[in-house]
Amino acid sequence: MKNQPHILVIDDEPQILRALKTILRERDFRVTTAGTGEEGLALAAAEPPDLVVLDLSMPKMDGIEVCARLREWTQLPILVLSVRGGERDKVAALDVGADDYLTKPFGIEELLARIRVGLRHAALAKGSPSVVISSGPIVIDLSTRQVTLDGAAVRLTPTEYRLLAYLSGHAGRVLTHQTLLANVWGDEYRGHTEYLRVYIRQLRKKLEPDPDDPQILLTEPGIGYRFVTPE
Amino acid sequence: MLAGSARSILLHPGLLIDIAWLTSSLSTVDPLAMQTPSLRSRVLLAVACVSGTTLVLYAIRSALGPALVPLLYLLPVGLSAGLWGLTAGIVAAFAAFMTFNYFFIEPLYTLSVRHTSDLTVLLAFFAVAIVISQLMGMAQSGLAAAKAREREATRLFELSTALAGLHDEKEVAQIIARLTFQEFLADGVEVGVEGLDDGQRVRERQPAGWSAPDRTPQAVGDLRTARRTWGAIRIWRGTTTFSPAEERLLRTFASQGALALERANLAASETRARVLEESDRLKSALLSSVSHELRTPLATIKASASSLLSGAVGWDSDARQDLLAAIDEEADHLNRLVGNLLDMSRIESGALKPDRKWNAIGEIIDGAMAGVRRPTREHQFEIRLPKDLPLIEVDYFLMEQVFSNLLSNCVKYAPAGSTVHVSAEAPSAEAVEVEVWNEGPPVPEEHLGRIFDKFYRVTDADRVTGTGLGLSICKGIVEAHGGRIWARNRPDGFAFHVRLPVSPTGNLPPAPPEDLELA
Repeated sequence: MKNQPHILVIDDEPQILRALKTILRERDFRVTTAGTGEEGLALAAAEPPDLVVLDLSMPKMDGIEVCARLREWTQLPILVLSVRGGERDKVAALDVGADDYLTKPFGIEELLARIRVGLRHAALAKGSPSVVISSGPIVIDLSTRQVTLDGAAVRLTPTEYRLLAYLSGHAGRVLTHQTLLANVWGDEYRGHTEYLRVYIRQLRKKLEPDPDDPQILLTEPGIGYRFVTPE
Repeated sequence: MLAGSARSILLHPGLLIDIAWLTSSLSTVDPLAMQTPSLRSRVLLAVACVSGTTLVLYAIRSALGPALVPLLYLLPVGLSAGLWGLTAGIVAAFAAFMTFNYFFIEPLYTLSVRHTSDLTVLLAFFAVAIVISQLMGMAQSGLAAAKAREREATRLFELSTALAGLHDEKEVAQIIARLTFQEFLADGVEVGVEGLDDGQRVRERQPAGWSAPDRTPQAVGDLRTARRTWGAIRIWRGTTTFSPAEERLLRTFASQGALALERANLAASETRARVLEESDRLKSALLSSVSHELRTPLATIKASASSLLSGAVGWDSDARQDLLAAIDEEADHLNRLVGNLLDMSRIESGALKPDRKWNAIGEIIDGAMAGVRRPTREHQFEIRLPKDLPLIEVDYFLMEQVFSNLLSNCVKYAPAGSTVHVSAEAPSAEAVEVEVWNEGPPVPEEHLGRIFDKFYRVTDADRVTGTGLGLSICKGIVEAHGGRIWARNRPDGFAFHVRLPVSPTGNLPPAPPEDLELA
């Protein structure tokens, strides 16, 4: 089949590779596997996949480095697999540009859902770079800096707008506190997660029907935020 | 004319200082703090003393009998010898001998003597004066030595009191630096301790913020014991050199300091040995507890999977669904066990260093809920958090672990179909208290304090699964954040309380920069 999405799985544990290969092929994906970071980088360069599933704890070249090396030349979606106790590695991988994460052990439905989200956003991003981003009733026009909710203009402060523009510009990706703070406020504000809480709350009040049960500006507990566009 | 010359002596600048010194030495003062007056000024003092006496005696000479004058002249001699030492005493004796002869013995205002009897008196006076000054001088130097020794002993006592019971090399170095700095009136002191067991180097400087100059220190005291050299005390002090007494005191300081360092080092090794022993004991306890705990879910998984593989179970049967669900649930169970083991080993190894950031309680609870909700379809959750709860400066992942353990514990002992509750409040501006509770049976009061101990179980191990580690992990994490965790029986259930300081420093989260509405 020609339209099968191509997934590259990089993990040093053969059992995981075997299981994922079997399961993903069952679900009509084309699967390539790599047992080391180096092999994974070589395979990704030889035939760029549509999505990479990357284990973080590998001997020699670890997942964070693989992630950083991939990001040097490609924006293809990267889904990292971490373990309990490896939270800091997970955040580090997201900081260097991974799109999403899953904690091992995970249910297969969860994995498939994340893969679908990653592929969908990659497909959207591949189209012509859009100046208008929309998610449900929210429309953000980057050229005029206008934000509308159900067609009505929403008044945002400059910081609120920058934060929303950055989040929506990376729709679907988990953006860590650090990434958001560095890109919206500046590098010297990397530690100030409390700023984010204040501004995310303000944005939700202005944009979400129920700010306490957000549908678009989602919290990734302890990690960051994610702007989602409904399927 | 004579009065004038006496005043000019008194106004001699060096002398004024010496007189100031005299008064200060009479009141009780730190003797090392002042320098012993030079020989020259001590002699000058003795001469001034004799001159003064002469002035007074000469003024009242008509009232004095001939026998009284030499007697009174012994006063300045004794005084000089007593206060300023042997040399000053002898000079005073000689000066008194001369002035006595000059002003009081016929013929007056010459140094010649008319009567033989006067010569005898004069010679006798001189002999007595010399003997007195010698005795007084000896007594004075003995007293000075005794005083110096007493001081030394006092300082030493202060040092050893300050060093007693210290088990940290850095603290020891701090104390040595501080006391040396005070004692030797130094410009600066540096205490360097090197090559400790953990490869650490300690450098303590006094005063705070002072940096050691390039030039060589005035004095160096090696911190040395029989076992090894620990480092050195270096003292910089203007240009004044160290007297032998000071050098001796410095050596004593150094050897006391070195002993304290050795003691601290030995204590640290002992603590390490004890920790190792303790963790060894823990590991064996863990192994026995864990191997049992791991085997149960493994047995279930193995049995279910092999019966599914055997093909004996029909494809669409309920049995097949049951077996699959059992595998899924037991895998989750295994995952929790392994997670707890990992957390426990991190806490035990002392690697628990909270990475504090400003976090919202609500977010932490949400994160914890995400992990608990799946295996507990038969329970409801009710979470009530006030909207104005302050942010708390905690390690997100560790705190999520705490609440995930508390929630799963509450779920485990809650009757099927009941509700698990979470609520929070800020009892003061500095603390936040979270209550996690279920509608389960009460725990006997005598167990309440101990349920946070490792491997402690209220119920029979066979009835409820778990390693007995979850709650002690919670306690370890909460205490690492300076908080407190406890349990209590409610009228309608059983509750855990976690009270956390908003911030270890007492600071509040900084407000974001001002931001204006877009026009």
